[in-house]
Amino acid sequence: MSSQMTDDRVQTEKGAGFQLQTPNSALRTITIAVAGNPNSGKSTLINAIAGTRLQVGNWPGVTVEKKEAMFEYEGTRIKLVDLPGVYSLSPYTQEEIITRDYLVHERPDVIIDVVDATNLERNLYLTVQLLELELPVVMALNIFDEAEKKGHKIDTKAMEETLGVKVVPTTATRKNGLHDLLKAVVNIVDSPSSPYPKKLNYGEDIESATRTVGKQIQSAYPSLAEKYPLRWLSFKLMEQDEHVQRELLISGDLQIEDAVQHLKKAHEEDVESIMADARYAQAAGLTREVLKRPELRKMEITEKIDRLALNRFLGIPLFLAAMWFVFKLTFDVSKPLADWMNAATTGPFKRWAEALVGLVHAPAWMSSLVTDGVIAGVGSVLVFVPVIFAMMFFITFLEGSGYMARAAFVMDRAMHAIGLHGKSFIPMLLGFGCNVPAIYATRTLENPRDKALTALLVPLMSCGARLPVYVVFIGAFFPSHAGMVLWSLYVMGIALAIVMGLIFKRTLFRGEAPMFIMELPPYRMPSFKSLMIHTWEKGKHFLIKAGTYILAVSILVWFLLNLPWGVENKKDSYLGQVGQAAAPMLKPLGFGNWEAASSLMAGVIAKEIVVGTMGEIYVKKSEEGKKEQQPAFTDDLKELGTSFASAVRDSTKNVLSTVAITSLSAEQDEKRAGLKTALQGVFTPLTAYAFITFVLLYMPCVVVAIAMRQEFGTWKWFGIAFAYQTALAWLAAFVIYQGGRLLGIGG
Amino acid sequence: MNLAMLKVGEKGKITRIGSLGPLKRRLMDMGVLVGEEIGVKKVAPLGDPIEVTIKNYNLSLRKKEAEGIDVEEVE
Repeated sequence: MSSQMTDDRVQTEKGAGFQLQTPNSALRTITIAVAGNPNSGKSTLINAIAGTRLQVGNWPGVTVEKKEAMFEYEGTRIKLVDLPGVYSLSPYTQEEIITRDYLVHERPDVIIDVVDATNLERNLYLTVQLLELELPVVMALNIFDEAEKKGHKIDTKAMEETLGVKVVPTTATRKNGLHDLLKAVVNIVDSPSSPYPKKLNYGEDIESATRTVGKQIQSAYPSLAEKYPLRWLSFKLMEQDEHVQRELLISGDLQIEDAVQHLKKAHEEDVESIMADARYAQAAGLTREVLKRPELRKMEITEKIDRLALNRFLGIPLFLAAMWFVFKLTFDVSKPLADWMNAATTGPFKRWAEALVGLVHAPAWMSSLVTDGVIAGVGSVLVFVPVIFAMMFFITFLEGSGYMARAAFVMDRAMHAIGLHGKSFIPMLLGFGCNVPAIYATRTLENPRDKALTALLVPLMSCGARLPVYVVFIGAFFPSHAGMVLWSLYVMGIALAIVMGLIFKRTLFRGEAPMFIMELPPYRMPSFKSLMIHTWEKGKHFLIKAGTYILAVSILVWFLLNLPWGVENKKDSYLGQVGQAAAPMLKPLGFGNWEAASSLMAGVIAKEIVVGTMGEIYVKKSEEGKKEQQPAFTDDLKELGTSFASAVRDSTKNVLSTVAITSLSAEQDEKRAGLKTALQGVFTPLTAYAFITFVLLYMPCVVVAIAMRQEFGTWKWFGIAFAYQTALAWLAAFVIYQGGRLLGIGG
Repeated sequence: MNLAMLKVGEKGKITRIGSLGPLKRRLMDMGVLVGEEIGVKKVAPLGDPIEVTIKNYNLSLRKKEAEGIDVEEVE
């Protein structure tokens, strides 16, 4: 069903260096589903096997990420499907439901069960549930090197015999065991004599009840009994799994009450708990049987780090320091590259485009559309691509290393105080990169209440798209206090999120707060490849969004700015007219001019566009009539090369000098200087600060609106976000501007 | 007594899980089962949540949730 589209994409990519020889390959295709606990190294394993061949999409109807890859292995075409990481196949989280539905309905040829060898028992709990589905399973006993280093001895032969599955030790971070794993998979499909998952005995009570229920199903729903594993179906009905009952249209007319009652009475528990107990008993029994570990446990590295990271006094300062470090590093590394991209688009690229348009004798408006609309649009996207990538890199590192869970642990009390969940911290943090993935990330929160509240507060986290606006204004007005001013904006967003959280908790979201049950995984060094692939995926998502959406908007803004065609003054353009109408409302905030109003209006569509629009309005005005000398094509090329080299050198230097505070905009970029000078003529430091505060807080961009709509299936939450944020932005800017004037800071 | 009453470094054996519905099932899925030994490892800097060790791994939960887990102390 859903995989159809992905198949097509793989087909087209085949030409670009894929190993598959012929398009109409006569090879058979087998489907492998990869399942496993969160933190079992599943992603790393998949990246190690499929790498860049992974196609990222969404599960149908939901926004949980779906990764697939198609490749050839020793004469077999393999379709690899990555399932969301889950601890269990209970129907309580979206991830669990997706995993279960896929396995039950799509019935892949083989399941690869990724098991963390250092955390055997809890991982085997999922394995036990996978076996119930009666599909061939190959176990990847992952993180095997770490288990060995700890002195754990695992009897894989005994494990294979008990479970009826092939067990392959793997260390995905070093690519160990991957060939054996794939061989085992292909083998299972090839030889009918290969081991088949055993039906583990859950004890006579459960088994006899299951048999009774199974007979009932067989007589009442013979077609279901044929389509689904009968034993599994019986378990689900006994557990009163509403999801299964609803989906398979099983009504309550089965006579299973007697069997269930008997079971309940014997154990004095509900059936779900009895089943969980029985499954864990299997996992525990098997672990006892196959695992030998040294009597004396050394103090592990994780414990050592946690002594500091979760320390009563040091925990929070260290956490804040880590966050500060991430931001500083992100900004300093990407700055020179961003400048280079900006210089390239406003310089050589623009000149080349002008030359090309000139060659075909295009009319003036066309030339303007291409250079001021398209090229400028591409430029405004490219400029902060490095920032986004760097930010994503660090966030991925925090997630992969295990620190993200500690951050949630350290912050939960604080987050909980404003009605959030420690896990809300993760979308909040992602929000600093881009609010859009942050909104999608709210689905890690199981409870709709947590989720909605988090999504409402995410837009107060200053996203990467707001950064270019700050950068321009800070460069123009606060070059010597750049770091501090920037930091103050981020802190203001957080502080206001706290205030709003408290208000929402007492109004929209009254009632009991949902649960906080989270694994604190061991610290691990994420593999470089995995890190790069994740960063690229997330960065690419932004690029695609930016490349299409922002470009379209940039062109739209060009039209608004230049139409009716031939307007002498931007003020008379459509955008200018709207801006003029809105300007009086911004007057009490210190920037009640049509230029600012128009730019803010355009920024609703994507906040970084504020800068582009200001460039259009201000720089065009002041640079009128200035003629540049046209450098030769070869000069341009040389300039691009040497400036790129120096940009790379600068960003490397900045990595090294991060600890010593370096100024954000030590050297002003020539091309941006135009806009900066223009701004200095219109804004004062006070109105500039009020303006960037407004940009920080006012309504989320359209893409966030679409994300919220998609996540919640209603415009309701976006409507609330729109209303409260616009009010908040106006109020904050008002307080800053009027307060500043009272204090005599000028204005 | 319940899990929230244990101090850092103390251990208990779970005697009953009082929570209901998804919370109970989630706890059980994570290995928090009757008869299991559970130890309190850390308290978050702000006093909540707590980190516990169960089935040889580390889990965090809020004190409120820990209050729903009855334990008998083992030394």
